[in-house]
Amino acid sequence: MNDPTLIGPCTDYEHDLVDLHDGTLAPDRARVVRRHLEACPRCRDWQAKFAILETRLAAALPRPGLSPTFDAKLQQRLAALVRPPVRSDLRAALEREHDSLIDSLRRGARRHAILGALGSAAVMLCALAAVRGLLAQGAGLVPSVADGPERWLMLGIVGVAMAVAALGWSAGRNGVPTLGMLR
Amino acid sequence: MAMDAGIEQHLAAGRHARAFDLVVPAYKDRVFRLAYSILKERAAAEDAAQETFVRVWKALPGFDGRAALGTWIYAITRNTCLMELRRRRPTVSFDDPDSTEAQHAAASIASGPAADPERDNLLRLVDTLPHNQQEAVRLFYLEDRSYETVAEQLGMPLGTVKNLLHRARKRLMELARPDEVKAA
Repeated sequence: MNDPTLIGPCTDYEHDLVDLHDGTLAPDRARVVRRHLEACPRCRDWQAKFAILETRLAAALPRPGLSPTFDAKLQQRLAALVRPPVRSDLRAALEREHDSLIDSLRRGARRHAILGALGSAAVMLCALAAVRGLLAQGAGLVPSVADGPERWLMLGIVGVAMAVAALGWSAGRNGVPTLGMLR
Repeated sequence: MAMDAGIEQHLAAGRHARAFDLVVPAYKDRVFRLAYSILKERAAAEDAAQETFVRVWKALPGFDGRAALGTWIYAITRNTCLMELRRRRPTVSFDDPDSTEAQHAAASIASGPAADPERDNLLRLVDTLPHNQQEAVRLFYLEDRSYETVAEQLGMPLGTVKNLLHRARKRLMELARPDEVKAA
């Protein structure tokens, strides 16, 4: 076991020497290994070098620590995990409601504009018809239904009445185009 | 572990947030040291520790207690670090002195207390060991030379860890210059 041509510890004692150094060797076995060490310079030399390496490794290897901001950063990350879904859900719901409201307002405005335009067109047509009838009648104020020219006046009056009714209905629906003057 | 018992009580009662509040202070240092032993870079290890706890936080309600809490957390840590290493892999070259790996080694050496050629040489020798031996060596000295802690953190049997460390230190003794070992 003490062949001087060999390098390193005796094979049978190699692991025991490490355990002895670590203090994990059973007492009985430790006594045997110590006795062997007294008699074996190769193992003594190896064990001494091992102890030096241990000391140097323990001193040389970096021992970094966590930064003081670790906990705060972690809390931030966890908070970011919790909040976005809630916030985005709320935002999406609000956006949906907003879009729906805007669509409904646009539809209403479009309908009112069409009705207002129709009412205005009816008023213009009827007014034109009435003016034409009045001009055809000359100065006469009481038309005769049976006569040809009076027929135009009667039609004009009916047209004006319809136009006024259409305007009234349209105004009641808030649909008269005002070109923004009433805002 | 007494702390784990408290955590497990909260978990059993469904108080996951309360349990998590105890998990972080109980494990953050060991998770960081495990991550550092694998990634070899402080900032990357801290990022990995953050990611680990985010994953623990997400998965804690599903923790069934079949494995010990620590074993479970360390497994998550190792997976997180392996993903980070996999992400780095395309740039890693052991022969290239400008590789990320080499830069990490240089950075870890440079972050030491003072310029010390012998220390730098020893750290370079550690970097030449197989990865599993490097991890075991770093963790062993970070964890105050506790084989049991290293075994738990690396998810290996105690005997395997002892063997890894023995082979690593034996190799280092062979690689180190005789005068260097004797000098100390």
